Amino acid sequence: MAERTFEEGVAGLERGSGGPPLDDGAPRGEAADAASHPSVAAMRERFGAGILHHAVMAGDEHVVYVGPAVVVEVLAWLKDDAAQRYDFLADLTAVDYGGGRPLEVVYQLWSIEHKRALRLKVPLPLDALVIDSVTSLWHAADWLEREVFDLFGIHFRGHPDLRRILMPENYAEGHPLRKDFPLRGRFSRAEQTRRALATPAEEFYTPEELRIGDDETVRPPSPVVIEHAAPPNRVDAPTTRVPGGPTQTEDWSLGTEGSAAGGAPGPSGVKE
Amino acid sequence: MGLSLPTVAHGEPSFLTSKLDFLVNWARMNSLWPMPFGTACCAIEMMATAASKYDQARFGMERMSFSPRQADVLICAGRVAYKMAPVLRKIWDQMPQPKWSISMGACASSGGVFDAYSMVQGIDTIIPVDIYVPGCPPRPEGLLYGLLLLQEKIRGESLANPALRAEDPARTGKPNLGPEVIEEVAGPFGNSTKQNRVSGLVSTTALTRPNDRKP
Repeated sequence: MAERTFEEGVAGLERGSGGPPLDDGAPRGEAADAASHPSVAAMRERFGAGILHHAVMAGDEHVVYVGPAVVVEVLAWLKDDAAQRYDFLADLTAVDYGGGRPLEVVYQLWSIEHKRALRLKVPLPLDALVIDSVTSLWHAADWLEREVFDLFGIHFRGHPDLRRILMPENYAEGHPLRKDFPLRGRFSRAEQTRRALATPAEEFYTPEELRIGDDETVRPPSPVVIEHAAPPNRVDAPTTRVPGGPTQTEDWSLGTEGSAAGGAPGPSGVKE
Repeated sequence: MGLSLPTVAHGEPSFLTSKLDFLVNWARMNSLWPMPFGTACCAIEMMATAASKYDQARFGMERMSFSPRQADVLICAGRVAYKMAPVLRKIWDQMPQPKWSISMGACASSGGVFDAYSMVQGIDTIIPVDIYVPGCPPRPEGLLYGLLLLQEKIRGESLANPALRAEDPARTGKPNLGPEVIEEVAGPFGNSTKQNRVSGLVSTTALTRPNDRKP
């Protein structure tokens, strides 16, 4: 097999031209358009300019790009409309393509009734990483949105309990799945070890679990002081590890590679 | 031990202490109860070590003690994330003396391939480690060999050396190593090549560790 460059390899990916032909008669690849997926055509008809863009990925994955302003409206319609009925939120995640490009929130939907899949993507510019929560539509989105917030720093408006889910509560190095996040983290290993062992055991339990054994006496959980400030004694400066990344330490929490401002300001009123 | 034992000279055990050492060490090394701390695939091999084919009960590890208060040896099998580090340290602090620990597998010993933001680069930065078992994961024979090495290490211990089992309450919940040492061992490929230094040994070759292998 001849060697292909990276650009040649990914060239047909958006159009899906590389996939094998399937025999169900539906147009594939370059021939596929919005008309080949009934939901896409219906969405275009209903929302018009609210639908930014449509693409077919990897043969038959229909991806619809929606603006962040209408995402809850579109998803609610997709879930409840009788002809669509995308009642199963299979996945909710995000992608950082790097290079200053927008982060994309991905909603992977499945209609149990019509046996159809649809993928929604919402590009979010780096200086406005805020999107409405869809926990009102699917309770399954609760932890998925917490994960996206934890690892990408995208804030979900209206989420009932938006806090870190995978990283420790006192994690102050930023959001690890961003492209500008250094592989070994931003603090030195000694500092990471110190912070890890300084985590109080209470953080691993809910207040209900901590009350187990207290029989009748229900006492409020002891307040846990969480250290959020970035310590000054880091070994590796961020500028040496992140070429083109944010240079101000206070930009770590929301900084992203290539953004001109060196990081996005945190939206006001969001629980950090 | 709170006993003041008669010794002939400094560092030289008397007839009484050497016989008492023999008895105590014989009892300790042949009734090791492991506390399993299995976090990843190494734990599968640890379970195989405890199961019927390899049967670590043959060597006195009669049962896995799922309570740190009733355990003698902590077997950390698998990678440890920084989020898990305070749990590991707390379990180690909860174990009563005498206690030992085995770092099983590449990830527990050095972070392994997970040289990433979330992973502890060797559990010896968190707790003191007696035996490192290499492998990814080690076969049950490897863990058994580590347990047998630990038995030989226990055989060389002496009650006349109170520092051996001494524990500083102020060190509870603190890292096992200083910041500089953590930096040194946690560099790329650090802990896999710096363990001689951590354990205070000159070499890891079995033949050149006379204190570990007493006949």
